[in-house]
Amino acid sequence: MLILGFIFLGLLLIVLQTTVFMLTPTWVAAPDLYFVLVAYLAYRVDLLRGLVILLPLSCVLDVLSGTVIGMYSALCYSGYLLLKFISSKMPVRESLYQIPLVAVSYLVVHWLVFSLLDFLLPDSLVPWSWPLMLFRAGLVVLCSYPLFSLFEFLNHHLLGKFSTLKILRSRSGNQFR
Amino acid sequence: MRKKTTRKRGGGKGTFRLVLLGGVALTVVLIFLVSVFSRQENSLMHEFLFETVGPVQKVVSQATASLQSLKKDYIDLLTVRDEKTRLLKELQECRVIAYKNREAVATNARLKKLLDFKESMDFSSITNGSSSNYVVAARIVGKDPSLWFRTVDIDQGSSDGVQKGMPVVTGDGIVGQIYSTSANYAKVLLAIAPSSALDVVIQESRERGILRGTGKTTYRLEYVFKTIEVSEGDHVVTNSYGGVFPTGIPVGVVTKVEKKRRGMFLNIEVTPAVDFTTLENLLVIKREKQLVE
Repeated sequence: MLILGFIFLGLLLIVLQTTVFMLTPTWVAAPDLYFVLVAYLAYRVDLLRGLVILLPLSCVLDVLSGTVIGMYSALCYSGYLLLKFISSKMPVRESLYQIPLVAVSYLVVHWLVFSLLDFLLPDSLVPWSWPLMLFRAGLVVLCSYPLFSLFEFLNHHLLGKFSTLKILRSRSGNQFR
Repeated sequence: MRKKTTRKRGGGKGTFRLVLLGGVALTVVLIFLVSVFSRQENSLMHEFLFETVGPVQKVVSQATASLQSLKKDYIDLLTVRDEKTRLLKELQECRVIAYKNREAVATNARLKKLLDFKESMDFSSITNGSSSNYVVAARIVGKDPSLWFRTVDIDQGSSDGVQKGMPVVTGDGIVGQIYSTSANYAKVLLAIAPSSALDVVIQESRERGILRGTGKTTYRLEYVFKTIEVSEGDHVVTNSYGGVFPTGIPVGVVTKVEKKRRGMFLNIEVTPAVDFTTLENLLVIKREKQLVE
């Protein structure tokens, strides 16, 4: 249920990103909402579930956006794994760094994927622009606060209602059995 | 003795009654006489009464008028709230209608432009002139959120005859090409995308060139020799050499020409004929000649 819920939410975010937030085909102020979900999954969801949730979402993004199939899969999975790795190794308290880290990983992952694509397909991408990418990273940070709360709510709600552990626990009424 | 006393008492009462009756009758007669035989304007009593009662009447009537006005205002106030709610609702409805009307007018203008364009263009160069339904009207349903590509998604797909490589236009000129399709949807690679390249011709000099997107809202015209005279304001249109686009679809206007010391070609910047920021309704030109991959 958690997986289906997050897949559905991710699809909704992608649809919003490609319609409501994109006012014109050259609009730059559209936040990459999918990356906020990637970051949340890296922080809160276990590896297997995270990978399963990201698979359909990255495929949908590849179909709806761009001309290079696999680009969004690379962005999603590298972002997810990078954040997962960093968050597991960081000695600092989580809340201090988790949001800024989303922006940093966003920039790093996008720059790496762009460099690779630019090397493989020269002159087929709009040139890299640091001001624009910093602006987009800022938008991702801005959207992270409310979306993290929404994801957290959804996570607790889904886990609370449909967690198999809870169902098993609720069955055993007799503690001494 | 007893009888005598009774008679005495009854006689006093009768006299009193008689006197009272006479007094009343006399007063009535006097009033009648005064009212009949005296002139009313000059009557002191009349004046006195008028002057005494008049101000009271005036004050009372003014107070009554004020009270009535207050009452009317209060009642109006009570009804004004309902009236205000009703009028606000009516205003909102009118605004919605006005907005819909404006939208309908704008859509009508856009579609009329597309229709004029469809009727004015000769598509026979790419459709073999055999098909009457050589264009498909489409609407943009999604836009590429990436900063690195320039594509849009439209609501017509292979079931409507849309195929990869077909040209996409608006009433103003060329928009791009179909990049991929599904049954009911298709992705359009916009002409401003860096990966887009169109075979075009400068209308004034008839010189051919390759038009490439820059990712911004301008094109770059490549492979035009330095020896060719190109000036700002020259019109760039499609040509049908490649068999992709019909001849003469507006592409843009030359806005900058640079002649560098090194190199064989001019650096030409072209401003698109199409406003890519207001794209909504598009036409896909069905091409019967298959594009060589």
